[in-house]
Amino acid sequence: MIKSVYIHIPFCKKICSYCDFCKVIYNQKWVDDYLKSLEYEIKNNYKNEKIETIYIGGGTPSSLNIDQLIRLFDVIKIFSKDNLLEFTIECNIEDINEDKLRLFKENGVNRISIGIESFSNKYLKYLNRSYTNEIIEKKINLVKEYFDNINVDLIYALKDETLDELQSDIDKIKKLDVSHISCYSLIIEDNTRLKINNTKPINDELDYEMYKLILDNLSDQYIHYEISNYAKKGYESKHNLTYWHNEEYYGFGLGASGYINNERYTNTKNLTKYLNNEYDRQIEIISKEDKIKYELILGFRLLDGIDKKSFYNKYRIDILDIKEIKKLIEEGKIINDKDKIYINKKYLYVLNDILVYLI
Amino acid sequence: MTQDKIRNFCIIAHIDHGKSTLADRILEATGAISKRESKDQILDSMDLERERGITIKLNAVKLDYKGYTLHLIDTPGHVDFTYEVSRSLAACEGAVLLVDATQGIEAQSLANYYLALENDLQIIPVINKIDLPNADINKRIEELKSVFGFSEDEIILTSGKTGEGVEKLLDAIIERIPSPNGQKDKPLRALIFDSIFDSYRGIVVQIRVVDGKIRLGDKIKFKSTNAVYDVTEIGVNTPKILKLNELSSGDVGYICASIKTLSDVKIGDTIVLEEEDDVESLDGYKEIKPMVYSGIYPVETSRYNDLRDALEKLKLNDASLSFEMEDSKALGFGFRCGFLGLLHMDIIKERIEREFNLDIILTAPSVIYKVTLTNGDIITIDNPTKLPDRQNISYIEEPYIKTSIFSPTDYIGSIMELCQNKRGNFINMEYIDKTRVNMHYELPLSEIVYDFFDKLKSYTKGYASFDYEFIGYKVSELVKLDILLNGDIVDAFSVITHKSSAYSRGRAIVEKLREIIPRQLFEIPIQACVNNKVIARCDIKANRKNVLAKCYGGDISRKKKLLEKQKEGKKKMKTIGSVELPSEAFLSVLSVEE
Repeated sequence: MIKSVYIHIPFCKKICSYCDFCKVIYNQKWVDDYLKSLEYEIKNNYKNEKIETIYIGGGTPSSLNIDQLIRLFDVIKIFSKDNLLEFTIECNIEDINEDKLRLFKENGVNRISIGIESFSNKYLKYLNRSYTNEIIEKKINLVKEYFDNINVDLIYALKDETLDELQSDIDKIKKLDVSHISCYSLIIEDNTRLKINNTKPINDELDYEMYKLILDNLSDQYIHYEISNYAKKGYESKHNLTYWHNEEYYGFGLGASGYINNERYTNTKNLTKYLNNEYDRQIEIISKEDKIKYELILGFRLLDGIDKKSFYNKYRIDILDIKEIKKLIEEGKIINDKDKIYINKKYLYVLNDILVYLI
Repeated sequence: MTQDKIRNFCIIAHIDHGKSTLADRILEATGAISKRESKDQILDSMDLERERGITIKLNAVKLDYKGYTLHLIDTPGHVDFTYEVSRSLAACEGAVLLVDATQGIEAQSLANYYLALENDLQIIPVINKIDLPNADINKRIEELKSVFGFSEDEIILTSGKTGEGVEKLLDAIIERIPSPNGQKDKPLRALIFDSIFDSYRGIVVQIRVVDGKIRLGDKIKFKSTNAVYDVTEIGVNTPKILKLNELSSGDVGYICASIKTLSDVKIGDTIVLEEEDDVESLDGYKEIKPMVYSGIYPVETSRYNDLRDALEKLKLNDASLSFEMEDSKALGFGFRCGFLGLLHMDIIKERIEREFNLDIILTAPSVIYKVTLTNGDIITIDNPTKLPDRQNISYIEEPYIKTSIFSPTDYIGSIMELCQNKRGNFINMEYIDKTRVNMHYELPLSEIVYDFFDKLKSYTKGYASFDYEFIGYKVSELVKLDILLNGDIVDAFSVITHKSSAYSRGRAIVEKLREIIPRQLFEIPIQACVNNKVIARCDIKANRKNVLAKCYGGDISRKKKLLEKQKEGKKKMKTIGSVELPSEAFLSVLSVEE
């Protein structure tokens, strides 16, 4: 039974230099048409399941004006929300104002995800963000007046960034005292401004030092529950846990990915097509074997790892009977605990090197 | 055909001087093939030969010209195959010595010239490629006169490209090369100068009948191996196969006798009739011995049997390839293979990969060392890992060669520096003319096995050419250099090296391995050791950044694809202990810059 919905809003006022998500520059007419197509897609695919989590991501959902946001929430009314636990919308610092926050609140949003990315004006400029650090604290405090469940994103391993600079960012982010923090090491993706400018990643050793610095600093107030994610107790992202638990979810919108009826799909990234209600979906059919592989690659992102009993209930296979798992346990790379098995913390940072043995 | 109307000849030349192209023109001029048929270089029948522009396996072809029968015997053009060349020369009365009009005399022109002299051949000097704009014919004429003592009117000018001079050359072959002088009524003696495996006919033996006759149905015997067979087929290549009932003295052709074991057919051996087996063998037979050894292992250990099949099939066609099973702690089961030289090794490697679709690992090539033990026993070592403990060794000898390095005089200094770095002893230097020299050095063969060819090329901008002959063994201060990965010796990396260069070589190898081996889950020390003493060390740092941090708005298929790509890369790695090595690591040990 599908319990989660992702909705993609691909519009941005400005394109960040690192972003390789599906996005286009904001254009009022396009947004209006887009909302119609989005409604069409949802109506034709949603099968009235009771929804527990909704996540509106982008792009920049908060770039929409009040009228457009109202229409977006109208579209979302179609979902059966009796069991709704978590409803997140992504928001940019510069878009935050009382009108929008009130509107979010009135429409059932209970979690705001804010891309702060950096507290240094030098790096904000480098990332092509459209605000300066002076307003961050004020804006977050405003959000806190309406919401208690707030995520902020931080990007580290930026060009020339030092450990001291990162420490200062961490201090500031802790001071905000929000319920959830995501920290991402910068990845220089193809077709981004950074890549085109031939940006080189920082060296691996420093990257690792930074990862440890974040871990050391956040651990006293936050639970490190997923590779890149920290939460206060009870504030783990329920929507993202759907992904990591390898459960099915709807993905609606331009370039959105979903997982329904044993198929993982990604919609077209071509806006014109989407506006004509053509989705050109790329589909991966998931066999039982694939499903197990996904269960492992996703599950081991969580520090708690994979629950042995629910794994058995799902696949009728004892996870400890998987040859590769056995070997990794022998090598000490995976820990076999009472109910769960999980990656040895020592190797969490090089998870991919372990996951390749499992696919 | 009476014997006085037969001319047996070969073309000898330095590599790339246009031998095969000229051969094609000869085939055309004699009507053996039409222009339309001549895909380039018809005598080089293996793809690999055509690609590399060298002839690996010999071919002989019968041509008719002005009432004469000409047998053109092709010869391999590389230093590794000297013995095979000498045997095909022995099947001829004359040789066409081809010199490139733009390049002049090179190392193998000279080496082949001496081989032809040793075999008492009538030599026709030819300057080829005269159509090229930078051809310097007068200079070449002077060279041929001064180096070999030819007179100007002996020299024929040709162009393999346009066919100019080819008829003149054919006329000279008839006029100057003597007819064979064997005796038809004497007992049969035929020289084996090549053999080819054919899956339908078994082994096809290329022969030159020296005395007597060989007929269909004859019971024949190979003198050196005493193997006896019935002749089931006789013929010649024109270049199409033409079956005959007999070959008699002076003739060149092939025979088949349902021979399945190549080891019965040795190049240079004499074929006689079984009933007359007391006839003396022809001169010049030698057992071919490999000069260079290397371990060949399948990347996937489960393909050991496929590798054995591949080697057995290759050996059917190449008697000079030898192999026996060996095992390596690091690489599992494989074969110790003997080669005539580095080019030979390279060819075998490529043929295994191409024709048999096997991924293989070659270990660093080694020469054969003679080790005298403290108890007086002498053992030979073709694999560094088999070198006994130091305390049991009295002394070690290694094979030495004498070089002929042809080069413009501008590079004398660089070549001397190179040879000195390679532990060479200068012997002497001959001036070919004012601008070119032939330098003779004594060098350990093991130094050639490494990067000598490449270095020589780069030191001389590609102008130098190189040839060598084996001159015997000399005592040397040699040590075994071991490489340890993560604390364990990887036997496939061990090399024997001179004491004086052990340190720099050890350091170079560990540095090179650090470049090649990707970071892994843990830190890996790489050490170079001599006599259990670490002489160089560096570490491969543990892998650090290896997390796909974000799950792309739920696009999880993409993450799996990235992981799958990473996994593909891993498949090509060889796991040794707990370390994953790319297969090129094993040969990279060779190409280190010290």
